[in-house]
Amino acid sequence: MILVLLLAVPLVTAAVLVRARGRAAAVAHGLGVVFTLGAAAAVAAAVARDDSVTAVDGLLRADALSAWMVALIDLVAALAGAEAPRQAPLGAGGRFYPLLHLFTFTMLLAVTTDDVGLMWVAIEGTTLASVFLVNFERSRAALEASYKYLLICSVGVAIAFVGTVLVYFTDVQRFGHEPHALRWTTLLRLAPELGPRVLELAFVFLLVGYGTKAGLAPMHTWLPDAHSEAPAPVSALMSGVLLGVGLYAVLRFKAVVDLATGQAFGSRLLVGLGLASLAVAAAFLWSPRNYKRMLAYSSVEHLGVACLGIAFGGPWGLGGALLHLANHALAKSVLFLLSGRIRAAYGSADIGAVSGLVAVMPFTGRAFVVAMLALMGLPPFGLFVSEVMVFRAGFEEGWGLAAATGLGLLVVAFAGLLRAAHRMAYGAPAASTAVRREAWQASLPIVAALALLVATGVAWPPGLAAALGHAVAALAP
Amino acid sequence: MTALANLLAFLGLVVTLLIVWRQSWRGRLRLFALQSLLLAALAAVIGLFTGKAGLLAVAGIVVALKAWLIPRVLSRIAAGTPPRPAIPGRSSGMALLVAGALVVVAYVVMLPVTRAGDLPTEGGIPLAFAIALIGLLVTVTGRDALGHTLGFLMLENGIFGLALLATYGLPGIVEAGVFLDVLAIVLLMEGVVLEIRREHDSIEVDRLRELRG
Repeated sequence: MILVLLLAVPLVTAAVLVRARGRAAAVAHGLGVVFTLGAAAAVAAAVARDDSVTAVDGLLRADALSAWMVALIDLVAALAGAEAPRQAPLGAGGRFYPLLHLFTFTMLLAVTTDDVGLMWVAIEGTTLASVFLVNFERSRAALEASYKYLLICSVGVAIAFVGTVLVYFTDVQRFGHEPHALRWTTLLRLAPELGPRVLELAFVFLLVGYGTKAGLAPMHTWLPDAHSEAPAPVSALMSGVLLGVGLYAVLRFKAVVDLATGQAFGSRLLVGLGLASLAVAAAFLWSPRNYKRMLAYSSVEHLGVACLGIAFGGPWGLGGALLHLANHALAKSVLFLLSGRIRAAYGSADIGAVSGLVAVMPFTGRAFVVAMLALMGLPPFGLFVSEVMVFRAGFEEGWGLAAATGLGLLVVAFAGLLRAAHRMAYGAPAASTAVRREAWQASLPIVAALALLVATGVAWPPGLAAALGHAVAALAP
Repeated sequence: MTALANLLAFLGLVVTLLIVWRQSWRGRLRLFALQSLLLAALAAVIGLFTGKAGLLAVAGIVVALKAWLIPRVLSRIAAGTPPRPAIPGRSSGMALLVAGALVVVAYVVMLPVTRAGDLPTEGGIPLAFAIALIGLLVTVTGRDALGHTLGFLMLENGIFGLALLATYGLPGIVEAGVFLDVLAIVLLMEGVVLEIRREHDSIEVDRLRELRG
């Protein structure tokens, strides 16, 4: 029941916002954001109590892993929802707000359905819901970005469909047309007896397909364009959680395929993609010119780290990967939201055009520096902890060389990010930019998110370790 | 059923190769509609022999959606572009050669699948996968938005054929989702393409080259 509510809230909000204007729209948007967050908390509580919740004859099902993803999606959706009115006028009508809530709905559906086919539909739906959001500013560059995004992700997800068909094929071959053959719970139960050769083939397609959505190199080419051209709240959602949803699909499928083929097959592929992502990101981050593109490539980097965590496996690797997704979601969405404010103040997304940020925008500038330090993986922030977990798993599970290579690439990216952040934050402000007064209300969500990042880095709030443990355990019951 | 399914899959591949060969978009669109009709026939044949009434409905939807509605939308996208590429000299010989190689690749890749079961329709599986691969080729090498969209739809047709031949149809909810997706993608494509034409006065996406690095 609570799952139906979780999905109904953004859907109803979207429907209301199609019609609502003026204050009514502002109220609907605000209530939608708050209720979505509340429903996510209720799902988390229910899962903590009962291990898993189901609805609609098992079609919807949330275990600890789903609850983890739901929490991430709704945290970032709340951050983006709070920032959105600064980017797009609320109450003027238009497609932006309905699509924003619809986008949240599709992501939530993807992680709370037990049906592999419906998850596929939902992930395709995330692309469809967000294409117009990317093209919101209707510039030539935004148009190009949304065209690339639609084409590449549609093809990618179509390839994932081949994988889904093959999984269903081996299932049907072995067990006949049993009802609910394409559910995670059924697949996990039957996996040890499914044909390993076909599943290996299927996993390659699934990895390429959902890897495209997750922004893993070399299928990442849509990502920097879409993330840099989209309005800030949309970039935050895409970078913070949409990529994570893609990786969630890979993670679930790997758990199934591992049961049939053993761990080594899937892990080797994932290590390859993870290192490729880190390499591509490090090459770009060495000297970025545009700060939104810099943040986008840093997403490729961090998804690469999470991908390595999944590949290394074990409680440290999987737990590290999930925690890394969460930390990255918080840090990156804060940075994208701030980048929207910076762009509004300086009128450019070029790193060269921004200087003296801390002097011009005291709060935004400082928050930007802090979040950048977190993104580089420095203590006391959560990303440091999750990276340590992932690489510890690498050395423990016998992937020493891959882990060492990954660490080396992280250092390169670190240097590039540090240089760019320094150039933007300090130095003489351009003459044309006046010092801005910033409303304290606008800083609250940002401060809250940064505080959470410190919490995952220094002292885990009660329940976090248990939640992480349950999420990892949900993969292979 | 084996003979019929194999024949339909083979004809589908022939039509696909013809699409690669043809240069005029009107011809390509007609061939795409023909390919979709073959897919519908395949669904109907499998539905009749296995007694699955649902597949007959699927065949009907394929005819309505892919053989009628989508070609109409595509011709709206293409309206106004010259019927042949303005720059002659790019023969389709090379593309055909690569497409031929992809057929071989499809047979090799699908070996685990054809070996795994004893389906009466397994002969068509590599053919359907070849159609999907060639669709991918057309998507990747397409020079304008129409080529990209057409390639994507061919890829989709190939995958759908693969699903029919390998599993005799997916659960209803997935099939409904697939149809909705295809329709939504084509309509979105139309929207984006019309905007591209307004901005750039052409649908040659070669002109989209502002985002680099």
